[in-house]
Amino acid sequence: MLGKPENKMIIVALAGAPNTGKSTVFNLLTGLSQHVGNWPGKTIEQKTGSVHRGNLTMNIVDLPGTYSLTANSAEEQIARDYLVKENPDLVVAVLNAASLERNLYLVAELIELSPRLVIALNMMDVAQQQGMKIDAKALGQELNIPVIPIVASKNQGLDELLTAIEQEYHQPLGSRQLKHIEYGSEIQKVIDHVAQLLDDAMTAPYPKHWTAMKLLEGDAQINKMIMGRAAGEQLSSLEAYLREHESAAVTIATLRYAWVEKMMAATQEKPPMGRVSLTERIDRVATHPVSGLFILLLVLCLIFGLVYSIGIPLQKLLELHLIEAGHNFVNAHLSAPAWVKGLLANGIISGVGTVLTFIPILMLFFAAWAFMEDVGYTARAAFVTDKFMHSLGLHGKSVLPLVLGFGCNVPAILGTRIIDSPRSRLLTILVAPLVPCTARMAVITLIAAAFFGSTAIFVAIGIVIFSLIMMIITGLILNRFVVGGEDSALLMELPLYHLPNPKIIGLVTWQNTVAFIKRAGTIILAVSVVIWILSYLPHGEINTSFLADIGKFLTPVGKLMGLNWQMMVALLSSFIAKENTLATLGTLTGGQGAALTAQLKVLLTPAAALAFLVVQVLFIPCVATVAAIHHETKSWRWPLFTVAYQLLLSFAMAIIVFQIARVL
Amino acid sequence: MDSERTEEYLEAIYKEQSKGESASTSFLARDLGVSQPAVTDMLKNLESKGLIVYKSSQGATLTDIGVERALGVIRQHRLWERFLTDILGMSWDKVHDVACKLEHLDVPEVEERLAVLLGDTDTCPHGHAIPDKNGNIKRDKTIPLTKFQPLQRVNIVAIDEGDSGLLREIEKKGLKPQVIVTIKKKNEDGSMEIEAGNKKISLKPQLAAILLAEPVAANKLIAAKTETTLSKLDAGNTAILKEYTGERNLLGRCLSLGFTPGSVIKMLENYNSGPVLVKVHDTAVALGRDLADHITVTRTENAC
Repeated sequence: MLGKPENKMIIVALAGAPNTGKSTVFNLLTGLSQHVGNWPGKTIEQKTGSVHRGNLTMNIVDLPGTYSLTANSAEEQIARDYLVKENPDLVVAVLNAASLERNLYLVAELIELSPRLVIALNMMDVAQQQGMKIDAKALGQELNIPVIPIVASKNQGLDELLTAIEQEYHQPLGSRQLKHIEYGSEIQKVIDHVAQLLDDAMTAPYPKHWTAMKLLEGDAQINKMIMGRAAGEQLSSLEAYLREHESAAVTIATLRYAWVEKMMAATQEKPPMGRVSLTERIDRVATHPVSGLFILLLVLCLIFGLVYSIGIPLQKLLELHLIEAGHNFVNAHLSAPAWVKGLLANGIISGVGTVLTFIPILMLFFAAWAFMEDVGYTARAAFVTDKFMHSLGLHGKSVLPLVLGFGCNVPAILGTRIIDSPRSRLLTILVAPLVPCTARMAVITLIAAAFFGSTAIFVAIGIVIFSLIMMIITGLILNRFVVGGEDSALLMELPLYHLPNPKIIGLVTWQNTVAFIKRAGTIILAVSVVIWILSYLPHGEINTSFLADIGKFLTPVGKLMGLNWQMMVALLSSFIAKENTLATLGTLTGGQGAALTAQLKVLLTPAAALAFLVVQVLFIPCVATVAAIHHETKSWRWPLFTVAYQLLLSFAMAIIVFQIARVL
Repeated sequence: MDSERTEEYLEAIYKEQSKGESASTSFLARDLGVSQPAVTDMLKNLESKGLIVYKSSQGATLTDIGVERALGVIRQHRLWERFLTDILGMSWDKVHDVACKLEHLDVPEVEERLAVLLGDTDTCPHGHAIPDKNGNIKRDKTIPLTKFQPLQRVNIVAIDEGDSGLLREIEKKGLKPQVIVTIKKKNEDGSMEIEAGNKKISLKPQLAAILLAEPVAANKLIAAKTETTLSKLDAGNTAILKEYTGERNLLGRCLSLGFTPGSVIKMLENYNSGPVLVKVHDTAVALGRDLADHITVTRTENAC
């Protein structure tokens, strides 16, 4: 070992409030070395990655963005549990220099846990634009913590940050006299009293004194834990004392802010009074109930314009060159038994193709999404739509995931992660499958065109609106009767607008796309193969296959909607992916393109066609969507609910439509 | 350039007059940096135009027409100052001199558009009232900080902007318009000890002299009447948070976002339905209307 530097591994936790550029710092430090997973038992993303520096390997853990360490949300609970239980070697607090006051509050809480702490003072450039002068050095002296000014969006100061981490790590723990908050004798007595009522075994793994403070702050999780462990007289005296000192929460927070103000006085020169920033100026228009909605519509039009002008043509191109070329290759050049060819062409290549051809559209949506997040627009979109969304029990932040749903329902469901209220998030997940995605639109367009000639466009638009009305009604019903819990009020920060960072947008788009392929891709492929097998066995011919049997079994229901067994099979196959409806109809009727249109006219009356449009737009979400619902709700209850509900809804509506249309 | 000179005189006389004094030739000579005989010549000239009344023993006072002209210039001056700080991002200690040049531009359309651009501002960056376009101005009831007595609580309303060095010092001490301070001590030499929040600030005589304030007692009376909920605060107004009366489970989130008692909240957008947008502790935060209904505040603006 002599002379050979020992390679050391340390764990560095990245803490910070939302909108501090913490993810940017994390992404820049770890690059593509990062691993994205979930926090144990949570649907909140856990990102880890590593940086090597000399003989030091820093494993960086990106904690969820939190304003405080009181468990007001799952994010906050994760962050502080990680700090207490995992005890990282060092904590880097990423602060937004442009709203230092707000951000120092978290530092006030971090100091109470006395870790090795380094502060990365991010967005120094933005603060400057805001007319603030911040003295990072003075802040460091005041706090007695290394403070490194950085501009992560321009990749400035990260090297200095790493050096500071390295240096700080080599300082013995506790060598720094951290400036704890002086809580004042009165409140200190109250905290001490609560601490006396507790014992170390009861509060483990949390420090006793800290636990006492969190109890006074009304921390739900700590409260539940302690009340579960305490018993008898201890419990009743604790409960009584806490109830008596309910206002302590406010006092503690106020004192923390007073501490923050004291720290600020030495470090920041404020801009002149009453200055109106550019962000506020833009917000006058962007959050206005009329012009704000107008801007939102404009943004959405732009996104869909992009999808239809670039995404869809690309998808068509891929279909032509991947799927059809694949089919042709298998059929023409492969000498193998028919069933192998069938499995390869119709099972595997079609399955993989469905996933691959979808990627251009998804990437466009992901990029647009990342762009809006990065620029700071998402919060504004949430602001202008909150009132309407709220009436459905949803959240302003629900609007963008739902819009994403027009592209594909899977990213819509993954996108609900931005909604911080668990209840609104669940509701959004449950109504999202009723947003007609591009795949369903393709089916609607073709069938409407086949049956309704010049009025096809109106029929198609009508079906989309119908589906959205169903979504709203579903939202109202679920909100009233199905999903329990408190209605959560809107409370969110509107970050300052800033220029987009292409690197970050690229990285986020990439990560989301990879996640989609991993999560949805494999499932689509598997189900595609299973459905193919069902369509092949037992006689190697679809018209007599198990799939046809299922379709025929459903004929009584189909009849009520004017649909024969072929149409029912086509509907069932949309479970793999919605655009499969057309491919299956093609196989069943032996026609493609114009031939398919002609065949359809034989199979369906116009009334039945309308019913088919209705049932297909409302039918069970595709398997990838169901899987996403399972993944995001961590239960089978909600995906099964969705399947059952939409099955009933689609059949009921189609039957009503057919019975009415037939008479007219 | 003749009119520019005229306007500068009128402005100087107005400022002196608004303190309840007439402008003496010696004051004007000092203020405008010219010789006394030149001042006397100019004053006679202004009198002949009907803008002032001039008596060599008492100095000059403005006629009604003179006041109107002076307020016009002052309006432009203060609007330009706002423009320079808010739009161009200049610091408040530099804008006075630049505005002195811009104020003579006197193109009605520019003035009008400037006012529209700046929206609902009614004071200059230093806290002085901006006359409206009809020449009405809020009556100035402030007195210099030095006139107050120890233990009095006063609200700093405005700051004399003549010396940019002093302005910078004031800013460094965290003082600005609408900060409430308590007088702790007055020294022989005119220096003062005051307290803002929990922070002790000592002011040298020159600094104490340029701070213009009004007693808070009067303000408090108004405040008692203007206690309201956050949801009823109009855009552009500020208030001080009193208490949160909503559900306990949201209290923690509110506190960590900075809605603590005593925090200054500025309403940015309030459309009387849907969520509101406020600024608290340097950050814009959107609050649902229900939540805003459950936060009581006291307005801080002066009701006169």
